[in-house]
Amino acid sequence: MDHTRSSKLTWLLIAIVGALTVCPVLMLVLGSFSEGLTAFGDFTTDKYVEVYTDPAFFEVMLNTTIFVLGSSTLSTVLAVFLAYLNTRTDIPFKFLFKIISIIPMMIPHLLFSVSWALLLNPSNGLINLGLMEAFSLDNAPFNIYSMWGMILIEGLLDLPIAYLIIAPAMASFDVALEESSRVSGASSWRTLFRITLPVLRPAILAAFILGVVRSLASFAVPSVIGMPGRVQVLATHLYEMIATGFATDYGKAAALGMSVLVASVTLIVVYRALTAESEKYVTIAGRGFRPTVIELGKARMPLFFVVGVLSFVLIVLPVAVLLYTSFVPYSMVPSARAFSMMSLKHWHDVLSDPISLLSLKNSLFLAVVGATLGVILSIFVAYVIVKVKTRASGVLDSLSYLSFSFPGIVIGVGFMWFFVQTPLYATIWALLLGYIATYLPYGIRPMSSAFIQIHSHLEESSLVCGASPLTTMRRIIVPLLVPGIVSGWILMASMFVRELTLSVVLSRPGTEVLAVQILRFSEDGLWGRLSALGIVMIGISTALVVTATLIGNRFRTV
Amino acid sequence: MKKLFAALFVVLMAVQAHAQDKSLLDRARTEGKASFYANITAIEPILKAFSADTGVKAEYTRISTSKFVATAITEFEAGKLMADVVQAPLPVLDLLKARGVLASYRSPAAAGYPDWTKKDDRIQLFGIEYVALIYNKERVKAADVPKRYEDLTLPKWKDKIVMANPANHATTISWLIGLKENVFKSEADWRKFLAGLAANKPMFVASFGPTPAPIESGEKLIGISMPKYIVTKAPAPLDWARVSQPMMGTPRAIAVTSKAPHPAAARAFVDYWLSKKSMDILAKDVGEYVLAPGVYPPIDGISKAKVIAIRELSDDEIQKWGAEFKKIFDVK
Amino acid sequence: MDIRIRGVSKYYYSEGKTIKALDDVNLTIPANQIFTLLGPSGCGKTTLLRCIVGLEMPDTGEISIGDDVVWSKDRNISVPPEKRGLGMVFQTYAIWPHMTVFDNVAYPLQVRGAAKDRIRESVAKTLRFVQLEGFEGRPATKLSGGQQQRVALARALVAEPRVILFDEPLSNLDAKLREETRKELRAFLGKLQITAVYVTHDRVEALALSDSIAVMRSGQIIEIGTPKKIYFDADHRFVADFIGRANLVKARVRGVEGGYTMVDCGLGVIACQQRDVAVGSEATLCIRPEFIRIVGGEAPAAKNLVNGRIESLVFVGEAYEAEIRVGDEQLLAKIDPDAKLDEGDAVSFTLDPAHCLLVAV
Repeated sequence: MDHTRSSKLTWLLIAIVGALTVCPVLMLVLGSFSEGLTAFGDFTTDKYVEVYTDPAFFEVMLNTTIFVLGSSTLSTVLAVFLAYLNTRTDIPFKFLFKIISIIPMMIPHLLFSVSWALLLNPSNGLINLGLMEAFSLDNAPFNIYSMWGMILIEGLLDLPIAYLIIAPAMASFDVALEESSRVSGASSWRTLFRITLPVLRPAILAAFILGVVRSLASFAVPSVIGMPGRVQVLATHLYEMIATGFATDYGKAAALGMSVLVASVTLIVVYRALTAESEKYVTIAGRGFRPTVIELGKARMPLFFVVGVLSFVLIVLPVAVLLYTSFVPYSMVPSARAFSMMSLKHWHDVLSDPISLLSLKNSLFLAVVGATLGVILSIFVAYVIVKVKTRASGVLDSLSYLSFSFPGIVIGVGFMWFFVQTPLYATIWALLLGYIATYLPYGIRPMSSAFIQIHSHLEESSLVCGASPLTTMRRIIVPLLVPGIVSGWILMASMFVRELTLSVVLSRPGTEVLAVQILRFSEDGLWGRLSALGIVMIGISTALVVTATLIGNRFRTV
Repeated sequence: MKKLFAALFVVLMAVQAHAQDKSLLDRARTEGKASFYANITAIEPILKAFSADTGVKAEYTRISTSKFVATAITEFEAGKLMADVVQAPLPVLDLLKARGVLASYRSPAAAGYPDWTKKDDRIQLFGIEYVALIYNKERVKAADVPKRYEDLTLPKWKDKIVMANPANHATTISWLIGLKENVFKSEADWRKFLAGLAANKPMFVASFGPTPAPIESGEKLIGISMPKYIVTKAPAPLDWARVSQPMMGTPRAIAVTSKAPHPAAARAFVDYWLSKKSMDILAKDVGEYVLAPGVYPPIDGISKAKVIAIRELSDDEIQKWGAEFKKIFDVK
Repeated sequence: MDIRIRGVSKYYYSEGKTIKALDDVNLTIPANQIFTLLGPSGCGKTTLLRCIVGLEMPDTGEISIGDDVVWSKDRNISVPPEKRGLGMVFQTYAIWPHMTVFDNVAYPLQVRGAAKDRIRESVAKTLRFVQLEGFEGRPATKLSGGQQQRVALARALVAEPRVILFDEPLSNLDAKLREETRKELRAFLGKLQITAVYVTHDRVEALALSDSIAVMRSGQIIEIGTPKKIYFDADHRFVADFIGRANLVKARVRGVEGGYTMVDCGLGVIACQQRDVAVGSEATLCIRPEFIRIVGGEAPAAKNLVNGRIESLVFVGEAYEAEIRVGDEQLLAKIDPDAKLDEGDAVSFTLDPAHCLLVAV
């Protein structure tokens, strides 16, 4: 694409993405510098002074750093491990990987954390009880309410995102690069660490950074696991600031959120610098590639065992806990009595509740329409970020992360302050736009790692053949991007099905969504209904994911 | 003669009130609906009954306490406050009143309510978010159930208590201060109680919502929680400790907004809300402690219990005490 | 359709430095010829090709194809690539892996909105032309390198473009296939009567395929001419050196004698193809290895007879490659494989004056 056209496209996208992401953040900036409780007031820096001179600040930052780095490292390492096994080896039952990668995304994080607390709490956690029984221990061996517990759960929760970014890149990796390393005398391991992983650096870094940004903004794990463990991280510190008292000052919270924003944007800039020569990583050049499979030999079954345990831990356990909770009348440790008391009461309550049904409909609409629009926007944005590479495209890249990297509780208020100035306020479109703006990186990341793999000749030759840039996009780029598109769509759609932080601020009568309904149940302590609705939610996400994958396969003719 | 006049006057007033009532309802029907922002949950049955009885639709927006002021003020200042009626803890409505969000309205339905519930011409109190010691009745022997709040400091409860985080959970902070002002004889006694409770290492959760689950499942045995869970979570083995001291909670309040899009429907809704019928539903279905005379939640012993409203605390006070409790409980 | 390039420059900026990828290039590519841009990597040949096709924007100058100006900095004209009506074969072939052979080839017609019948007809014709009949339904990625190359060619040709451009199309093929494909390509293009611009760094390819060759260095065109002219009669030492293996010997011009320019050099006095150079000036004598003729037995009194000694002898199949030492000079020579010579032997050889080139220093 020539430069005038691509720069026009870049600026158009900057305008669109900017409008979506800058406006709420701008409102928060205004709010953080204004006296009073709304976005507009007399200028003051008091909020910053107060927030950053808080004596607890240092410890909170230290905890946050450990938590965030720990969980993103865990999720990235696991994702690389699983993606490698799935795409490059002869490990059996590969379909499991697809499931592992997606199911945890559909489980509301709150439920996932609660399930784990049920399994690993030191008083009567099921696993702890089992181990105490088996080894006749006096004390529970594990305490989930701790920093390591937080890292474990958050790492598992962020694994799907990391996997969906790394796996497509791993799948389209040119094997010749590895083969030449093997021929040069390097062992499999050496090849993995010297060739495969460095070449996949953009995808791995992208996954890691997304993990960092996500865990910075995460609230479920810090509140369900961290609070009882008395490990305070940024999200719970923010919560304390917001929850203590009635005249909640979101401006002050925004002032604290700014440091997260700065940290995230810095990370993105560093990421861009580290992957600036992405041409180096182009691997599909219209020559066709054959993925060869590495035979695991003796390691095949032990590795499969590891995957099996992981999938059990990630999917079977939490889903089983959810199912169980949805049938028993109240929170009980499984026992003969518990099973005898099971009933469909919670299911009946949920399915006969008109608001639950309406929220189901709304969430489905938001997921399908939102993810589709979001993916379309992401294709263009990723194109500019990867293929145009001007300073303006760098701006676009950072913009796309803006509202994503703000802590969830705060950005919702930013959107409220923004949308209330527009006629969209209190409509489902406000939710739709807010979702897309906030979770744009979920679309852009997989798409740009897919873009990096597509040689520019494939696109240029279409232009030379007489196709307009739009036709080229439609007939050449989009079909080649199908794996990335499917990943992006799945990430966005399943995120939108369980989106909470924005919805809880923006949803109004008529625009109720699933997660808000779930939150309502959780605030009333109604875990049974919450689990039943959670399973419905997982069901919807599964249906969306299966549909997306099937449609994706139809377009992928090679 | 005087008596007759008085009787006549009463009849006349009643007729007039009825007429007014009727015209109010007519106008409400023309307006079509009332929009209700509330932090109270599970009130759908009341809304349904309201629509059925009056023919006016009620739209319910649940807004949590921490977002209530921010949402209402943002919308109000942008001229887009959609709420006709707002319901929240009293301090929240006081903040809204200070900004001119609330309209003046004295509902005739509040006639039988105690005087102290009629705060002023704008805000009406109708319930108390009462807090009690909730325990697992299958695992705690009757003899072990606390008889006074001080019993919570006994070493047998070590690692067995769950409570909302006293560093930031406003209702819990208010409750602890309420103990100081209404229950303990001296601040020293109260501080001793706090130290003993802290020494028992209670598990902290974000709010009241997550408190009953660990008690039900036996992960913990007792908690500082709300008796309404005994109703909503039945048949869970929950019960409340009938301590000799009074129960306390923050008052729940309701008011009409000053720029209500449906002013008549708003007033009709408040009237309905405060009626015995609604309060019955609230007590029976949700286990709420309501202030309508003679209406009690179906929890054994509650009708005889003493439940008092905690003094209204300013945000500064709550934050100050939150920080203090953070130190006392060594909340890391 | 001819292509005229006037004053085209293209700059890149990297780490604060300006790199001139193209430096005021002026060039006319005549119609219906195979015109090759030849040069070492980084010389700007691919950039020039991409400027012609519209994938890069020059910073100055004007480019016209036939009567249409497709790029002009001064007149602010910029025709996008898809409107230039060209065909191009990429170095990577850029075969779309998600399409069949048919779809790949039909694409240019489809995007032009041609009728289905015509598309089928044209694709069949073009595939027949590139000898890929019956491959229509194959996924494009299931083809060999040579076949993919021909799909790329068919795709470039199918819409009957005014000009077809090749960007090192053979560099991904193995040696044998490259030779065959080169011949085929020559045959295809010969039949077509089309203007073809071909970029390569392979001199054999350039010589074998082209009607004209332009040799480039550092963003500039050094010399243009027919293959023979470039090979035998280059004006520049760089060109002579680049286009084939050459022995370059420092020389000084003595004068003109009997239709030859005579020079003094390390080989003695040598008669060269006549050149207009000033007497006494420095020049480079360029002798290609294959024109060093070993004289067996009694050396006849011939022109340009030189004596030397064989320093090394390497058998390369069709010939010996010998290094012959003459005084301080060392020459590379190609010798018949049946010559009975050994390392260390003294030899005499002649140099045909017609193949003794004088090029600028």
